[in-house]
Order: sequence, then structure tokens, then C-alpha cells
Amino acid sequence: MTEEVLAPLSGTIWKVTVAIDEAIEEDDEVLILEALKMETPIYAPCDGKVKEIHVKEGDTVEEDQLLISIETE
Amino acid sequence: MKPYFERMQRFGKELKQGRIKRASASMEQLKQVEAEIGQLKKGVEDAGFSTEQINKRGAMTVWQRLEYLVDPGTWRPLHSLYNPMDNANGATNVVDGLARVAGRWAVVIGFDNKVLAGAWLPGQSENILRVTDLAARLHIPLIWLVNCSGVKLDEQEKFYANRRGSGTPFYRHAELNQLGIPVLAGIYGTNPAGGGYQGISPTILLAHKDANIAVGGVGIVSGMSPRGGFSAEMLEDLVEKTRTFSAKPPGRVETHYHETGFFSEVFEEETEVLGGIRDYMDAIPAYKPRFFRVSEPAEPAFPSADLYSLLPFNPKEVYSFDEILARLVDASEHMEFRPDYGPEVYTGLCRIDGFLVGCIGNRSGYLGKGYPEYADYPGMGGKLYRQGLIKMNEFVTHCGRDRIPVIWLQDTSGIDVGDLAEKAELLGLGQSLIYSIQQTDLPMMLVVLRKGTAAAHYLMGGPTANRHNAFTLGTPATEIAVMHGETAAVAMYSRRAVKEKDAGRPLDEVADKMNTLAEQYRQHSRPEYCARYGLVDEVVELADLRNYLTAFAGAAYQNPRSICPKHQMILPRLIKN
Repeated sequence: MTEEVLAPLSGTIWKVTVAIDEAIEEDDEVLILEALKMETPIYAPCDGKVKEIHVKEGDTVEEDQLLISIETE
Repeated sequence: MKPYFERMQRFGKELKQGRIKRASASMEQLKQVEAEIGQLKKGVEDAGFSTEQINKRGAMTVWQRLEYLVDPGTWRPLHSLYNPMDNANGATNVVDGLARVAGRWAVVIGFDNKVLAGAWLPGQSENILRVTDLAARLHIPLIWLVNCSGVKLDEQEKFYANRRGSGTPFYRHAELNQLGIPVLAGIYGTNPAGGGYQGISPTILLAHKDANIAVGGVGIVSGMSPRGGFSAEMLEDLVEKTRTFSAKPPGRVETHYHETGFFSEVFEEETEVLGGIRDYMDAIPAYKPRFFRVSEPAEPAFPSADLYSLLPFNPKEVYSFDEILARLVDASEHMEFRPDYGPEVYTGLCRIDGFLVGCIGNRSGYLGKGYPEYADYPGMGGKLYRQGLIKMNEFVTHCGRDRIPVIWLQDTSGIDVGDLAEKAELLGLGQSLIYSIQQTDLPMMLVVLRKGTAAAHYLMGGPTANRHNAFTLGTPATEIAVMHGETAAVAMYSRRAVKEKDAGRPLDEVADKMNTLAEQYRQHSRPEYCARYGLVDEVVELADLRNYLTAFAGAAYQNPRSICPKHQMILPRLIKN
């Protein structure tokens, strides 16, 4: 199963705080999005392993754009 | 009302290791600011004569008197760094705060007798104004430790006269008495002129045997006839008179205890004066806490140390307000008011030390699709929108009706702006909130957790815009300014930049000026500046925050001017429904 982390709003990727294959838990911070002058942390929706990171720091993203895929059991 | 208050809804989550690790740099910055503030406070305490020098003269310092007077562990200092006129000693020469004395909360203030024998200094009257206002707002006694040499004569023009000058405590004490609020004074040392009136204006005067209070002291009595100048011959006469009066200053105990009877009691030892104050405090009417408590006091379910990992030092970083509140209130339990409306603002009932309080705070971060409902742009917490303003208006109005003191926790970047915001009535709703707050006549306190910006700083319980703010606290992350420095630079210099560009001149000079202004804003909004110039009444360590909330709640419920029986409250029912 794969869970997708989407951008809640448009902005710029400020930091990616996980790496591919990293084991993560629900509510772990996976990246930080800069939007509306604020740095918004994006959290993992579930436990799992980071399967793919679709963005890099500095990228501009749109609302609902796919950011990270998480592999769940 | 046990079903409402004894167990409320639990909130907050345990901190994860990842969060602690990610926040470690922020925590260091917070602790660094706390250490800097602590050093400055130490500097104020160490100013003037040393403790040993004062003790050698047979006197205690104001700090020793405070330590003896107040119940252990209850001293909550305020205005420690308040110094709006930049005095060399780093303060206004009075030491004040909230404390329990003989089991009752009081506002306590004393002259710093290590510095210029406790003289009136520039800025002091503004400090005292805050203190008398605090006693009035919380309706609790004011205790003075009088030891005041009067006006610092070579700076009198800065504070002697004027509408808010140094004589104002005398009528403010009268006002407190007229409100039924007692002012107790322990009187030490020589207190001429201004010091004399400081001594005479309280309700009960308790004196040390060597104390004196007088209309004029030795310096005045021995030289009251100006003759157009001075000569050596005249000084011979002055020396003789001064020696006589110094040996026997006016207004001694033998006059004001035995002759006038102004002093209620006189004590041989300094500590006995303080014991006398404690005895009088014991005689003052005060409700026992159980009269108003809605449950047994309980510590938060999570440690206060978590606050250092939860409140980011970086003002741009989003965080969870609810997690912070869960570290401050009893048992980490609450009853949230209208959780599905106005998501940028938290409003809810919580308990502090078993007492019911209303809490209001800014939620941080993205507010979700479709909000604010009147606009086509996304909303971000910290800003105030239509629903949040309406919700706060409703909540404070209900708190006023139910007589529930309010704690504001502010981190706001301002009210939403633009044509859509104007059409959504935000200007009117902001002023409505000021009206609603003023209407409550409730004790309130404010913590500026991080940002206090624009009119939102006023609206959200700020001391500038209502009479009910008892005191305002800052944290190591506090920054207060009308707007961000870079925003101000753009507002000030954008037209100038256009002019320079049109004239074909380089823009470097304008850019330099903008950078200078932005830096000035940064410096003038930091915690130390806020404390020095009174934008906050104290900068408090995060780990100490709950102690101040406890003092506020205990003081607000000690002798309230009006009461709502808990079974007649409406707000808890509205929340439950």
C-alpha cells in the first residue's frame, strides 16, 4: 500500500526532513513548506517507509501536488 | 456542576523524540535569551551598595525584606527591567511583583534602598502607576516597603510634576482605599518630602523604630530661605544647622507614634515590621480558594520543559498552540468553545490551580481550504479573520456574564487586510472586540507568546486597548511592533525608491536606509526592549509561565467584586450543547 502526502496549499519547499527508505511514524514531520510568509511543517499521515520524494528544496508546488509517497505494510 | 468541571476533555500529546531533536537549536536560542534576561535582572539586583554594606548599617536590603515578608515560593516579580528613562541602575528604583503574604495574594512594592537611599527616579511614577492599577484590577491589597529619600534632586524636572508624575501615588492610594482595597506600609529609614507622603498615604502605617516621615527633611529644613546665591560664610551656618537636624531629623517615631499617632505600630527590629504586615494581611478579608475552585488543583499532564520544544524561536515557524496550552493548564483538560468556527483562534474554558479561567489564543498554520469564507485566498493562523473576531467577541462576552477571568495568549501578525476584508467588516469587528472586552469588567492577563503585531496586539487583550489587563508577560520569543521591520521599510521607502528610480539615481542608498530601519525594528521589538520600555510587565522563562498564571487566577478569585454562581453559568452549557 502507498500513502501519498499532498501539498495542502501552494508554496515553496523549504526543507525536506526525511530521506528515501527512512522509517517514519504517523505525525512525523516529513517536509516544511514555505507559504504566506510562514514555514508550515507537513506531517506523515501514517506509519511506514519513505518510498519516494517527488520534490526538492526550493521547488514551487501547487495545492494538492504530490510531495512524498509512503509505503505502508 | 461536577460533570462540567471535574473532568474536562483531555488534550495534547506526548512529545516525540523527533520533535525534540528538530527543536534543539530553537531551544538553545530560547534559553540563550532567558540567560541574557537573567543576567540583566541580576545586574539590577546588584546595583548600588552591596548587601553587606547595607547590613553593616543595621538595615536590611529591600530584597532581604521581600524574602522575609512573602510566603516561600510565591514571589512573581514584575517590572524587573522596566527602565523607560534609561536610569544608570537599570531600573526605576522600585521592586515589585505579586506574592502571597500570610496566605493571601497581594501586590508588593518596595524602594530599592541600595540605590540612592530609595530615591524617586525618572520613570518610577509610571512603574508605580502600573502597580496601583494592578492592585485595583485584581482587587487585592497593596503592600509598600517604604524607604525613600525623596526626589533625586538633579533630575527632578523629569518626574516631579506633570499629570503622571511622582506625586500621583498619593491620590492613587486614596482611590484604592475608596475602592475598599487596603494599602499597608512598612516604613524604614529616612523618608522626607516625597518619601514622607509615600509613608503617610497608605491605610495602615507600621514603622521601624529608626524610621521617620516628614513634609521636609534635613536638606530642606536647613536651607529654606533662598538669598540669591551662596558664600563660604553662609555655608558655615548651613553646616551647623545640618549637623543639628541630622542628629534629630523631623518626623521621628516619637512624633508620629506618640504625638500624631499616624503610625499604628512601631517595632524594634526590621523583621518585626514585616511580621506586623503579615499580621495585618491575616486580618484582611479574602475568600479561601475552595470557595471558588471548581475542582482540585492538578498539574498539567505534560512537563513544562516541553514548551522549549513546542514554541519555535523562529517567528515564521508554524506550531501547535493547543500543545502549548496543554502544558499550562490543570490536568491538560479543557472545554473548547466553538471548535468548528473561526479556526485561527482558540477559545475555551480551562482550570488553573483549580480555578475556572477563559483562555484565548492564536492558532498557528494553514487554516484549510475555503477559509476565510469571504475571500479567494488561503488563511494562515496568526492573522485574524471574520469568524475568529466574532468568536472572540462572543467568548469574552460570555466570560463577562459568567464572571470568569480571561487569559490571553497572543501570537498574532495582525488582522486580514484588503477590500474583501473591509467588506467582511473586520475593522468594525475589531473595535467591537475592544467594546466587548471593556464591557466585561473582568480581570485579564496577557502572554505575548511570540508576535504582538498591528491592531491585533491591541484587540487580543493588549494593555493598550482596555482597562482590564492586569499585567502582560513576554517570553524569550516575544516580539512586539506595529508591523514587521521589513514591512515598515517598504511602507516608508517605496515612494522614495520610485522617485530615485525615475531620477535615474542608484537605489543603494534607499536600500541601506531600508535595511537600517528593519534592523532598528528588530532591536526594538525584542524581549529586553519590551521589558525595558514597558511593552510587557515582565519577561518570564517558559518554565515559569504557569506560576504566573497560578498567581493571576489565585489573585483574581481572592476577593472578586462580583460573582456568578457556577450552577448559573451559561458558557459551560453552551459548550456542552
